[in-house]
Amino acid sequence: MLILAAVALRPALTGLLGHPAAANWATVFVAITIQAVPFLVLGVAVSASIATFVPPGAIARMLPRRPVLAVPTAAAAGVALPGCECGSVPIAARLVASGVTPAAALAFLLSAPAINPIVLVSTAVAFPGHPEMVLARLLASLLAAVAMGLLWIALGRDDLLTSVRSRTVPPGSKPSVFLATAQHDFLQAGGFLVIGAGAAATMQTVLPRRLVESIAQPGPLSVLVLAVLAVLLSLCSEADAFVAAGLKQFSLTARLAFLVVGPMVDLKLFALQSGTFGPRFAWRFSLATFAVAVAAASLVGWWLL
Amino acid sequence: MSEDARATTVLLVGALLVRLSIGGAYARYVRVGMGPWLLVAGLLLVALGLAGVIRALAAKRPAADPHGDHEHGERVGWLLLAPVLALLLVTPPALGSYGVDRNASVKVTAGDKTFDPLPAGRTAPMTLLEFDERAADHHGASMGSTPVRLTGFVARTNDNGGFRLARYQIACCAADAVAAVARVTGAIGDQPARDRWVTVTGTYRRSADGVPELQASSLTEIPPPADPYE
Repeated sequence: MLILAAVALRPALTGLLGHPAAANWATVFVAITIQAVPFLVLGVAVSASIATFVPPGAIARMLPRRPVLAVPTAAAAGVALPGCECGSVPIAARLVASGVTPAAALAFLLSAPAINPIVLVSTAVAFPGHPEMVLARLLASLLAAVAMGLLWIALGRDDLLTSVRSRTVPPGSKPSVFLATAQHDFLQAGGFLVIGAGAAATMQTVLPRRLVESIAQPGPLSVLVLAVLAVLLSLCSEADAFVAAGLKQFSLTARLAFLVVGPMVDLKLFALQSGTFGPRFAWRFSLATFAVAVAAASLVGWWLL
Repeated sequence: MSEDARATTVLLVGALLVRLSIGGAYARYVRVGMGPWLLVAGLLLVALGLAGVIRALAAKRPAADPHGDHEHGERVGWLLLAPVLALLLVTPPALGSYGVDRNASVKVTAGDKTFDPLPAGRTAPMTLLEFDERAADHHGASMGSTPVRLTGFVARTNDNGGFRLARYQIACCAADAVAAVARVTGAIGDQPARDRWVTVTGTYRRSADGVPELQASSLTEIPPPADPYE
């Protein structure tokens, strides 16, 4: 059945790829999917290991008991996860399921892709003349992650996360638990990653980047323009610094906003979050994170850059 | 998704990654340094999928779904077959001339970097990015009249008496590609067609419109290189 469909589809697809825009879309779509898979596998392996080997509640006990202190601790712990944003979504969901207070898990979700050593080093390499950019990225990302965690304590609705919190570890021997959770997490995150990659590839093909760059102008508008661009392009957080470095007609603060928003809110991340935590959560969370991240970048940029 | 469908999907994704990384086609989509990581991720997924298939076969009955209440959220896993199918059927090409004029190109400005003069007397092979950077540094003084060799694809024909040569820089994957561009004029015979790969040898020449220019003395069409990016 699958083979028959393949035989029938092949000439049509080959013909379609003869069109440069379609070929460009397909290449970007496949590229985003493929570069994310190793990070996803890392995230899924960590998540399945937590489900299998860490007793429920153990991680929650390692964090400070009071949520107000647990949030900054979890945000700072993001330093330890080398990778980009795709890997941290299944881990954060697993943390919530294993009893960590949601605000702390969300702070980790936001900070991990932005402040780990690989991302900071690539930022330093991309901005050779501006070492302060690395510090600004670290501080602004931490600030935004902690602010979102605290905001969740004040206003958050844990009922939006019930499906994740009630997720139980399936009964069985350790290998079968690992197998089942790893498969489940990979397929769920991977499927939504495909949706996000498709959306990002469409934006990249339809919307010429040159158009965006033509609206560079001093002032707050340029910060907003680059923040929106970061959402639409959905770059990997290990590569976005190189693209930001090339956007020379924008101010450093605007480019900082690009680097702070990108790992926290973008199309593929939104797809991943709505798949893992539910669309009602993802909408509210992404919009709030966008606002907080832009504010944090503007503040740190005004102070340091 | 049933247990065997889940395991088979994971197995297929893993097998495809292994095939891409061993066959070298992955270089069209991500930077070459990621090859080993793709291979490791692919092998892990193959192992995970195989273990699942074996378990499903051993159970011989539709095993109770361990995540019954998440069944709806799992149907999305089928979508992973989309890139698998696309790659098995057509293998999208490396990025070509389509994006060069639409997207950002490398912007180098005078004073970004300074270069020592090229050793005289022999042809210096260099990336298009370095050519652009050297051109921006004191109007290409470091190149002088030393011949340089560039490799790229034709991005635009009939451009002020020559053609545009381009090659993408990628930091992570094709989604973050930025093109370095130069114009080739001189002894180029019939202009090569768009998207054909060429190697040109020539000397730097200052151009009126700011696009770094290479006055070519020889030009060869070549097959697309294994790593299409710089």
